[in-house]
Amino acid sequence: MSQLIRLEVLRVLRNRRYLFFTVVFPVMMFFFYASTNFGTESFNGVSPKTYYMVSMATFGTVGAALNTAMRIALERKSGWTRQLRLTALPGWAYVLSKVAAAGTVTLPAVLAVFAAGVAEGVHFPLATWLGMGLAVWAGGFVFSAAGVALGYAAAPDTVQPITMVSYMGMAFLGGSWFPLSGGLKTVGQYTPVYLYNELAKYPVNGVSVGASQVIGLAAYLAAFAALAAWLYQRDRKTV
Amino acid sequence: MTTSTEAAVTQNTTGADRKGSALRGADGRPTEVAAFRDVSKDFGAVKAVHGSTFTLHPGETVAFLGPNGAGKSTSIDMLLGLKDPSAGRVTLFGGTPRQAIMDGRVGVMLQSGGLLPEVTVRELVGFACKVHPRGYAVDDVLKTAQILDLADRRVDKLSGGQEQRVRFALATAGDSDLIVLDEPTTGMDVNARQAFWSVMKAQADAGRTILFATHYLEEADAIADRVLVMHKGRLIADGTAAEIKARAGQRRISFDLHPQDGGDASLLSALPGITALDVSGHTVRISTSDADATMAAVYRAGLYPRGLEVTGVGLEQAFITITAEATAAEGN
Repeated sequence: MSQLIRLEVLRVLRNRRYLFFTVVFPVMMFFFYASTNFGTESFNGVSPKTYYMVSMATFGTVGAALNTAMRIALERKSGWTRQLRLTALPGWAYVLSKVAAAGTVTLPAVLAVFAAGVAEGVHFPLATWLGMGLAVWAGGFVFSAAGVALGYAAAPDTVQPITMVSYMGMAFLGGSWFPLSGGLKTVGQYTPVYLYNELAKYPVNGVSVGASQVIGLAAYLAAFAALAAWLYQRDRKTV
Repeated sequence: MTTSTEAAVTQNTTGADRKGSALRGADGRPTEVAAFRDVSKDFGAVKAVHGSTFTLHPGETVAFLGPNGAGKSTSIDMLLGLKDPSAGRVTLFGGTPRQAIMDGRVGVMLQSGGLLPEVTVRELVGFACKVHPRGYAVDDVLKTAQILDLADRRVDKLSGGQEQRVRFALATAGDSDLIVLDEPTTGMDVNARQAFWSVMKAQADAGRTILFATHYLEEADAIADRVLVMHKGRLIADGTAAEIKARAGQRRISFDLHPQDGGDASLLSALPGITALDVSGHTVRISTSDADATMAAVYRAGLYPRGLEVTGVGLEQAFITITAEATAAEGN
């Protein structure tokens, strides 16, 4: 089991495209926003820099988690999942290793964006940094579950566009690119990335946990995990 | 051969030891490696496998022979528990396929077994060694599969033939009692194929039971102790390669005997070379291993065959002969 996780972590760290989208791209976007003069003191109660630091950290994490979808779809097609079923590893080990690998490689993405934030003059007490980091990291598992579900939903050529559209759509409705208002906010505030961004910004104002965000994200996690479990079972019957 | 890590099992188990232990279970009774009992698999209206029954015994090297679409891969999938049979029962080492795999008793090389990209050959094979309950040291496995020189290459940068050797290494990463190979030499040139089978023979000589699917008659002939021929989902022949060849090399004779021509038809069963005789009405059908001797004897006996036909096939057409027989039998 730990062997498979090790292999999966090695693979994602070696994948340059993956590192670009989860680490380099969010950091670049953060620097871009940090250099923009928004002419305002506050976005939803936090400074614009803090706002974008958090939303770019979550953007990278969601990207890392949804990347799981493409990998699972490709490995189902190549027959690697069949090969794994012929080892002594239990069936769920494969899915667990994917989720664990996504959870592991998310950390550099979060750390890189936070480091960029420090470089741009964002400063908080240590407890706030830890709280934000923990919220970003833990919230990422919601999207890992979604990634697993997507990976078992269809063939690679279908999974790729679906993943990209969901990724960009969720980031847009989640307020990752700009603070939502009006009708967009009415809809967007119930989407998973919005809840995720809000949760990750909570520690900034000294409140430890946002109960409604935690409940909302837990509901999404349960829904994605149930969907993933169902699609996984379906896949094992048809292979 | 010695192993470099303590956890790994040594690979020099002698054939006699393995055969002895595999033949008898804990209670001293003979055990079987794998058994199909009246196994069928339907995909909708398509019967991929139809009423297949056979047993694999410890130490045998068995070829699963048949054209594409004969049901070989489906049978192997059921043997390994990747597919459940629609009817009948499949056992591996007396239990479920899954249990046998969990116990590390089966090494498998799938026809299209995916390999993991972005890792090196050593990392991938090392992983297989570590997850196998009785895994060998990775260097020993690479050496046996003759891919020590590829150890540090990325898996996604290999040629087709090299990939097949890596798949073979995955199948032999541990001390398995049964090795299953689904068309292992697909995509290999003649030299690679010969090298592959010499490596495989060493596995058989170590006493392992080997089941391989192929559509090359020569491979079955050269490697297997026993050949199972599949055609249209049915197991139509089960015997040694020599028996299958004899069957393919036979001549079929047919003629009519009219009562007014005289002669004693009861002499027919005593004809030389005859392996099967079928008399229906005036028509006589004979299978013989020596058509010349049989026909000479027919004339010597004073019989007067009319409408004589003698048909024969070469070795290459073994399939056609055997499968045609099967189709005819199906018609009856």
